[in-house]
Amino acid sequence: MSIKFQNVTKKFADVLVVDDLSLEINDGEFVVLLGPSGCGKTTTLRMLAGLETVTSGDIYVHGQRVNDVPTQQRDLAMVFQSYALYPHMSIAENIGYPLRVRKVGRDERENQVARVAKLLKIEQLLERKPRQLSGGERQRVALARAIVREPRAYLMDEPLSNLDARLRVQMRGELKRLQHELRTTTIYVTHDQAEAMTLASRVAVMNKGRLQQFDTPLNIYNHPSNRFVAEFVGSPSMNFIEGKIERGMFLSDAIRFPVAKPDASVSMGIRPEHVHVLTQPQDGTIPASVYVTELMGNETFVFLSVGNHRMIARAPADFRAEVESTVWLRLEPGKAHFFAKPTSTDYTE
Amino acid sequence: MRGRRKGIFQRGLVVVAPVAALVVALAPVYWMITISLKTEVDQFASPPKWFAFTPTLQHYYDAFVTRSFGQYLLTSAIVAVVSTACALTIGTAAAYALTRFRLPYGLERRLSLWILSTRMFPAIVTAVPLFLMMRDLRLLNTKASLIIVYTAFNLPFVVWMMRGFFAEVPRDLEEAALVDGDSRLGALVRVILPLVSPGLAATAVFCLIVSWNEFLFALVLTQTDAAMTLPVGIAGRVTQYEIKWGVMSAAGVVAMMPILVFALAMQRYLVRGLSLGAVKG
Repeated sequence: MSIKFQNVTKKFADVLVVDDLSLEINDGEFVVLLGPSGCGKTTTLRMLAGLETVTSGDIYVHGQRVNDVPTQQRDLAMVFQSYALYPHMSIAENIGYPLRVRKVGRDERENQVARVAKLLKIEQLLERKPRQLSGGERQRVALARAIVREPRAYLMDEPLSNLDARLRVQMRGELKRLQHELRTTTIYVTHDQAEAMTLASRVAVMNKGRLQQFDTPLNIYNHPSNRFVAEFVGSPSMNFIEGKIERGMFLSDAIRFPVAKPDASVSMGIRPEHVHVLTQPQDGTIPASVYVTELMGNETFVFLSVGNHRMIARAPADFRAEVESTVWLRLEPGKAHFFAKPTSTDYTE
Repeated sequence: MRGRRKGIFQRGLVVVAPVAALVVALAPVYWMITISLKTEVDQFASPPKWFAFTPTLQHYYDAFVTRSFGQYLLTSAIVAVVSTACALTIGTAAAYALTRFRLPYGLERRLSLWILSTRMFPAIVTAVPLFLMMRDLRLLNTKASLIIVYTAFNLPFVVWMMRGFFAEVPRDLEEAALVDGDSRLGALVRVILPLVSPGLAATAVFCLIVSWNEFLFALVLTQTDAAMTLPVGIAGRVTQYEIKWGVMSAAGVVAMMPILVFALAMQRYLVRGLSLGAVKG
């Protein structure tokens, strides 16, 4: 079902948590709300679930205004960060709970529970209690409880954040596959930009209660609409060099290259993969000194000092350089982003 | 050598201290039980007959067959059970509301303190006003008067105990229940109450003990055999002419039993209830 936030604002006492949020989510979309902690993404999700009231603005589910509809009548399913499994119930009872409160008969309930248990490969756990399960298993049970019925949308609040790294990547893939099969609108909250990039059909980046950009993962990555988005998405983070544009040249203390832009005081941003490290000087390369290198196995992150700036570059796995040795950088000028100061709206596009 | 002596001393203390505590705590109980089984001659024997006496059940017969202690026992049971049930129902609902809802003007905090403050003055202060109220309501010498008073008396305790237990239950759980489609009341009954049941049991035991043992209000509000509770009935055997030690002890032993049995049955919950939240489970 489609979901729409229209000028939604949420205040806790005098603190503005969500500021004039407008967002339209299409039927069947997988939308990730991405942002640092305290950016209002979880509050947004909770308002949609009806667990928080809306201070002003409207929320629509499938065209129906739901501001005053109580949680239990919104017909949404939610996966909590803590999983929120009912500790005194067996796994089967946990999964069957949404059906039980809907007065679904025992036989039908057992069939449905068995069906989703099979789908999530937890058939052998049905008789156990939540405390006897590992984190990954609990996560599956929480998912099973959400998908046992056919809600209008799934809401997920950092569902993978309590899992270890390996399991998180595995569950991420399974979530994506599951949503592909179920084709139910999903809204997923996370602060992990890797999850956002891999799962989302569209990502809504939020900061300090405001929506920063709402676009496909690729567009978010390649065309960040402001410096916050540019900095938050991507790992390692984008490099920023303060400088100015004067008569068709970007100028900073150590770096200069031609750009077709009007004169302005700007921050130039460039991603680590667009900074190439060379051991010999070439035309138009910039000297830099190696601060430290981090071998990742499949590639090497090179931390550099360029004038007064720090930069990070991605280099091949076999790249070797001594600390404090001099190297030369070639930037891809076409990949640079320019953010005007102080309003920080992008001005490449 | 010194180390070993110290070891023996410490190990000795580990045994002696609890035994001493037990003797001190149980001696009056032992004395009461033996008196209830002794003839009146043996009761006053000097030196006292600790173990060697011919037991008799005469006092139990006197108390529960010739006198109306059976009646008192029934009254006590009804009053204690009904008032505990009332206090738990009202108090649990109030505690849930006070922990889970934000009221305007921080009322949830203020109300909790007001509720607690009703326990901050000596109970006897309310004895006369309560007597007058019950007289005007024509409730003197009724079980209802005691049920009302005990419920009121236990309520603050229930509210504060249960507030603590509710606060221990993660909010996520009932939110999950709401999202899953359950009503507030349904979530309370199906999810929250089962989780606080150890707390409920512990609170119930305390309410029962308080109501069962209560003497002051029962004395003020009931004077007839039909409405009298056990503690008042027992105390009534102290008259200006004689003190029926045997009958009193026999009734005391019987009065002790239900609480003892109940507390033992609830022991598992009592320990869990009182230490709930001490260790994350």
